Amino acid sequence: MGGYGDVKLLNDDGTRLDGRTVDEMRPVEIKAGILPAAQGSAWVKHGLNVAVVAVYGPMEAHPRKIQRQDRAVLDVRYNMAPFSTSDRIRPGFNRRSREISKVTAEALESVVLLERYPRSKIRVEIEILAAEAGTRCVGITAASVALADAGIPMRDMVVGIASGKIQDTVVLDLDKAEDNYGQADLPMGICPNTGELVFLQMDGDLSIEEYNLATEYNYKAAAEIHEIMVAALKARYDGGEA
Amino acid sequence: MAAPVPSLLRQELERLAESDQRIDGRGRWDRRDVQLEVGILYNAEGSAKVTWGDTVVYAGVKFELRTPWPDRPTQGSLMCGAELRPVAHRKYEPGPPSPQSIELGRVVDRGIRESGCIDMEALCIVPGEKVWGVMIDIHVLSDGGNIFDACGLAAIAALRTAVVPAERFDVGEDHVLAVKGTPVMASFQRVGGRFVYDPCEDEETGGEERIHITLGNEEHLHSLQKGLKGAFTPAEFAEILEVARTHCGELRELVSSMEGN
Repeated sequence: MGGYGDVKLLNDDGTRLDGRTVDEMRPVEIKAGILPAAQGSAWVKHGLNVAVVAVYGPMEAHPRKIQRQDRAVLDVRYNMAPFSTSDRIRPGFNRRSREISKVTAEALESVVLLERYPRSKIRVEIEILAAEAGTRCVGITAASVALADAGIPMRDMVVGIASGKIQDTVVLDLDKAEDNYGQADLPMGICPNTGELVFLQMDGDLSIEEYNLATEYNYKAAAEIHEIMVAALKARYDGGEA
Repeated sequence: MAAPVPSLLRQELERLAESDQRIDGRGRWDRRDVQLEVGILYNAEGSAKVTWGDTVVYAGVKFELRTPWPDRPTQGSLMCGAELRPVAHRKYEPGPPSPQSIELGRVVDRGIRESGCIDMEALCIVPGEKVWGVMIDIHVLSDGGNIFDACGLAAIAALRTAVVPAERFDVGEDHVLAVKGTPVMASFQRVGGRFVYDPCEDEETGGEERIHITLGNEEHLHSLQKGLKGAFTPAEFAEILEVARTHCGELRELVSSMEGN
């Protein structure tokens, strides 16, 4: 995390700089099935973040050495578009995107019924088009909707959401300034139906009590985001296009 | 969703061509529906989304301060690149930029650069020391055929609506990027023996050579590219050039209608 307490992030009335209360998340919009070339796809706008995900497969897994005899492999790529950040980033993978791809894959592997598709591969392509803090969480949410849109069977969907700490106060869903100048960040991947966690990271400084409160905020937000995810999928399959 | 067997697809395209039909029901010179949105991405100084039939592409413009090339101390720079990432189609694999994506980026780049729509001198801040570098990145998200035209349109629309972030770099006030023209590309592919405008995915899979034409405001040619195996006659080129004039004019008006929004 960045600086500690030297930047004012809370107003005198306890609200945040963008007017949200401490347990209020940024607005979330979701659409399913927006990429015609993909088997399944999703678009998620969370605050000013925009993530688009395409799912391809199940398809033949190659090279053959990556095949598993008893299950499918998930090939997940998280990538930031060059224009998604304040300073342009060079195209291609870096250490950060490789790590996020890995932990995102492991989160999704925990819910996808991989044993249904032995020796095959399912590709999940996460593209971040605009970044305003919390893109890994937005990517996970979008990937879940895209997998469901592709008709891939899952035990549950995964909602990505983070809480954190600013000016010694626990808040839900950090925006860019709060992420840059805050004291802690706790992103989680939550299965809204089973209540399980399949993704967890944290950096900064949190007491046990603060961790518990941040977790409570995350679960509350996950239930709200889950409703939006379900509505997006229903809109796609009830009334044709979302 | 599954790709048809190419030889059967080719036969079908040839059969349709005999009665001058196309696989998606269009006339030979018809364009698919095109939707353009601009200014949609936070952090990009200019952005555009083009939905062109089943093709979806985004373009984003970023600026950086750099030292000018020694032989051009009063000129800024322009760079346009395209990425064909695996998100766009199951046929695209991860890895370093493919020859296809490099060709795509360079053809779009030439059309914009050679039209002279960006005044490189106007990108100079301190001669010999500080100039703007303008970077257009094109991101193909869904390849449903004719990504060239979609990328060209997204790039110029993002550029024409871009704001130079001078305040963030502490070199003056933010201002609209001066762009003097609207180069637009029109692409053709030989399908079933004759050229068609705006090939769809099946026509690209079962077609032969393609020709890309970029026309500026005065209907001057600014970039041409012939791709893939095949041979064509000057008479065929003259015919598609006429079609290109009409379509480029229409799309130029679409871009103009986005400005000032």
